[in-house]
Amino acid sequence: MKTNNIFAIIALLAMMSISTISCKKSEEAINPNDKNLVVLEFENRVGDKTMTTETYKNGSGEDFTITTFNYFISNISLRKEDGTLLKFPNQYFLIRQVDEKTMAPELKDVPAGNYKEITFSIGVDSIKSVSDLSQRIGVLDPTSYGDDGMYWSWNSGYIFLKMEGISSVVPTRADGRKLFAMHVGGFGGKTSVVTNNLRTVTLPFPISATVRGNIAPEIHLFVDAMQIFDGKNKIKLVETNSVHSPAVAAPIADNFLKMFSVDHVHNDVL
Amino acid sequence: MNKIKIVIFIIVIICFWSACSKIETVVIEPNKSFVAPDNFPKPIYNLDKNPITKEGFELGKSLFYDGILSRDGSISCGECHRQDYCFTHHLHDLSHGIDNQIGLRNSSALQNLAWEKTFGWDGGVFDLDLFAVSPIENPVEMDEKTGNVLEKLRKSTKYPAMFKNAYGTTEITSVRFLKALSQFLLSLVSANSRYDKYIRKEDGGNLSETELAGLSIFKQKCSSCHAGELFTDGNYHNNGLPPTERSQAIITIIDGVKKVSIVPVYDDGRMRVTELSSDKNKFKVPSLRNIEATKPYMHDGRFQTLAEVLNHYTNTVTNTQNLDPILQQNGKSGIVLTDTEKMQIISFLKTLTDRTFLEDKRFTPQ
Repeated sequence: MKTNNIFAIIALLAMMSISTISCKKSEEAINPNDKNLVVLEFENRVGDKTMTTETYKNGSGEDFTITTFNYFISNISLRKEDGTLLKFPNQYFLIRQVDEKTMAPELKDVPAGNYKEITFSIGVDSIKSVSDLSQRIGVLDPTSYGDDGMYWSWNSGYIFLKMEGISSVVPTRADGRKLFAMHVGGFGGKTSVVTNNLRTVTLPFPISATVRGNIAPEIHLFVDAMQIFDGKNKIKLVETNSVHSPAVAAPIADNFLKMFSVDHVHNDVL
Repeated sequence: MNKIKIVIFIIVIICFWSACSKIETVVIEPNKSFVAPDNFPKPIYNLDKNPITKEGFELGKSLFYDGILSRDGSISCGECHRQDYCFTHHLHDLSHGIDNQIGLRNSSALQNLAWEKTFGWDGGVFDLDLFAVSPIENPVEMDEKTGNVLEKLRKSTKYPAMFKNAYGTTEITSVRFLKALSQFLLSLVSANSRYDKYIRKEDGGNLSETELAGLSIFKQKCSSCHAGELFTDGNYHNNGLPPTERSQAIITIIDGVKKVSIVPVYDDGRMRVTELSSDKNKFKVPSLRNIEATKPYMHDGRFQTLAEVLNHYTNTVTNTQNLDPILQQNGKSGIVLTDTEKMQIISFLKTLTDRTFLEDKRFTPQ
């Protein structure tokens, strides 16, 4: 009796879902002139939890608290189901954990279509990194960061990702605090070939993002800071706690590749 | 009678016209403060992207000499870059900045910057427009945030009007601020030494026999690095300075309590920027123009006189990592020079002194 009921419910649900799918199908006439936003929602996390100021433990058993977590996102492109690529050149976003306003940047005027994956770089490309001052506006203005300091003034270049915090395993500094600082930058150099820490990730969507005149999809991304320690390269705070130059930062940059994932996509009708 | 009427009519027209033109436009005239000298190569800086105007130059000059760029108002650019000494920090081996802190290196001369590929002893900055952010934000120089400097300029009584004169509106942006500083810096062109007049065959361009002999030896023995009319190849070399042990005081203030810790300093030079061991101990070759005025010498200001510098090249060149091959030939380190040749070279180097530049009132603070 019980099992019969369950079967009935499952059958009902299946029929409902088929009917919704078929409904959707009938709506899928895409108007090529329609445009809408695609919102990239960055959710910073540590392991399987949303990032907070609590104390975490990395894979090496080291405690750490994050006080600063910032990164640049650029050279974004979206790939459609049919394989065509849509690029968003000259758009740079600075995501800052302490500032919620920065965490859901928008791609504007995205043509209607079904998009299946996103590609972007973590950092600022070499062309922009050597461009004239007049091209460095908004989040690329080297004077705009205040205490966040996302720019190396003594070794011209942007800091692609900055993670700072406190850990008991880090040596005590002259000022009595146990701070660690991971400043990952390095665009390859202009006057000399140096380390290039620009990394690009391509992330498939679990379901396609369906941009329509009345649908502005939200791509919900997870950014797992734990990967900085426990990614492809094991980074121990007791050894690596003061990173301020490209060569030293390279193993951390390699860990960016597994840091990012798309958790889910919202295609809510407006 | 008719003639008088016509004249009055014309005067009235002129009055109207001039009144109108005053209201309508802010005329920003190009400035003659930047002229590429005939004996110089083509400038590296792209002046089309930042045309120098009289008002932009005046704004840049005002900023250069204003302590408002530093955290507590105490340090201006001009503090460590004094005109009389070719914009170096006279008699300071290492420059001192805010709170009397000591910097890592000897402050560089500021001249002919439009011909420089990179800036600073290690060439870490590749665009003059980006340079000022470095001393402003260095904790031992001005220890300020550039964004905060812009805020202070916006609130000042003086600067909004100066930005309006230079750019047409009172808006103060990072681009306007940094490009105005560049306009002043680019204008610091020094090319009127006796040597220049000799090369350009101008009046006053006579070199003595001793000076000419010095020029000849210089060409043979020094000009592979101190090359061309700018007297630098713009590249990085290890000139065999004996390693020195230095330490640096780091001052921190927590809850009002000052702590001083002494940390050892080893200056890797260009390697600090490239992180390549092949760049260890290399520093950018400085120009020798106005060298008489820029003492002390070397990246750490260790030599007080030109004689000491030449004695280094003959006697104390040390085979440290990446010593330039030109200073290590036939199994011997250094350059072979007699005492007479040294004297002649120094005589020649003094012909590179450009008094008109060092005393040019346009560059002097009001």
